Amino acid sequence: MAFKDNRDFIEALKESGDVVVVNKEVDWDLEAGAIARHASEQEGPAILFEKIKDYPDGYRIFATPVGTYRRVAVALGLPADTPIKDVYKVYEQRAENPIAPRVVEGGPCKENKMLGDEVDLYHFPTPMCHDGDGGRYIGTWGFVVCKDPDSDWVNWGMYRFHINSQRSLAMSPAPGSNLGSLFREKFMPQNRPMPIAAVVGADPLCSIASSAGHPVGQSEVFLAGGLHQEPVELVKCETNDLMVPAHSEVVIEGEILPDVSAAEGPFGEYPGYRSPGFEARLYCRVKGIGFRNSPILTMSNLGVPPDDSHVGGCISISISLKNRLQRKGLPVLDVYQNPEGAAFMLIVRVSEGGPEVVRGIADSFGIRRAWISKIVVVDEDVDAFDMRQVLHALAVKCDPATDILVKETPPGTGNPFSPLVSVEELKTLKGSMAYFDCTWDPKRPRDELPLKSSFDSIFPEEIRKKILTNWSKYGF
Amino acid sequence: MPTEYQTFVGTPDILKEGQEIKLAVKDLSPGPRKYDCRIVKAMLARDPEKLPGSDVLWLRSLVGRRFPKPWAIKITEELGDSMPVTPYQLGIEVTKMLNEDLG
Repeated sequence: MAFKDNRDFIEALKESGDVVVVNKEVDWDLEAGAIARHASEQEGPAILFEKIKDYPDGYRIFATPVGTYRRVAVALGLPADTPIKDVYKVYEQRAENPIAPRVVEGGPCKENKMLGDEVDLYHFPTPMCHDGDGGRYIGTWGFVVCKDPDSDWVNWGMYRFHINSQRSLAMSPAPGSNLGSLFREKFMPQNRPMPIAAVVGADPLCSIASSAGHPVGQSEVFLAGGLHQEPVELVKCETNDLMVPAHSEVVIEGEILPDVSAAEGPFGEYPGYRSPGFEARLYCRVKGIGFRNSPILTMSNLGVPPDDSHVGGCISISISLKNRLQRKGLPVLDVYQNPEGAAFMLIVRVSEGGPEVVRGIADSFGIRRAWISKIVVVDEDVDAFDMRQVLHALAVKCDPATDILVKETPPGTGNPFSPLVSVEELKTLKGSMAYFDCTWDPKRPRDELPLKSSFDSIFPEEIRKKILTNWSKYGF
Repeated sequence: MPTEYQTFVGTPDILKEGQEIKLAVKDLSPGPRKYDCRIVKAMLARDPEKLPGSDVLWLRSLVGRRFPKPWAIKITEELGDSMPVTPYQLGIEVTKMLNEDLG
């Protein structure tokens, strides 16, 4: 049974030893963020800050909820020490069985309400995550719900957003994101506001599902149901018709205005650098806020790997890309975004490689966004989830002269958060992707292929069996 | 005690002294409303003595690096919390956008 909210998830993390409860008062202004960052960089536990300066008892922050695969495993109801490969397998099996949501009448997120003039975003202990950020980011591990006005498609997307003022948010979905596209194509031309709901502190699987790279028309809430193995309970917003997870901690209802903007950013982002900000991005006028008693905000203090964005935030995209490649008939076995690659890198394991397969992979990737820029293709005998094996393959099986394919992508598809993009280049945002072929060319005679000199492949089976049987007797 | 504010600019050279300009500033007053954003008209000076009774304006680059020496600011009008420009004009810094004639 999956967790309906973060509160039960936190209890499970306590049992597995994967959360630290901080009872000492901490300052929302940098202190909580610095603690979370330091813990993330040590692959430390999640953190529940119980007492926040300037805020009443009970107003808490839950930091780095799924910043390790142990915590993702717990979120899926698996033992914390489940191998990454098996976490992916379980996730993929559940994702193949999406479940429709169930609408309920009320829920914990309705326990308290602020409407109209009562709205005050400063009521919550929103952290100032990094020194020099453009604002207090209440949305670092939250998601935004919006709806296509011409169909039933409801989009969940994980976009950053900070408090702009007491009654407004500054939001930063990229122009080519699902929300950005809907807004530019279906609201801005008619000069009408776009209703949204910003969800802060949904259960871990809803949040992970919201980071999936679902194509237009597919609603992430079905994926969330599949991951839960039961329908997600949704409740209607107070000021618009959008539906949100009923057990969320805080739901901010508002509308993005088409004719004004907010100064958004900068923010220490997932690539591990703070890219340029303070641009005219989306202004959201907040019309209502619903929140639980003693609300728990979530914080993912992004930066150098690993953190939630490189772990929990990468599974959906990896599996969605794997499915896309397999649908194209490519011999793909695994796709993995290793946390060290900060979501810029992708490992693709294939049953048969060579230049044609690598070109096929390159041709299959959409050019909507060239945000993943390095794709490493490895043979079947390499464990895609083991970076020692991947780096070994990259080092010895990729010929720099012939095995690196570089493709440029059209303007507007580049990654605005890349540290390589200058302020001037943000205007055009060209992208590029490099494919590193670390596979044997199938045209090369099999008998000529060098044999891998590893314990598993260069000794007869009876010798390996003997060695393993006697391992401790040798004195190891 | 003067109030402290903060804004972000590509280079301080963009800021004109001795004339009213528009800025998006964050209020750095301590407390739960710190970092509140407002759009203002203001007079600026590098040297506080040239702007008596002024408040403090810290400048940060567009990637958030703080310049060592603050400027002086005197807010003459508050213009709300939003900018009257359509969103998604990426690659153009806010201060330039608010003051198109500033180049």
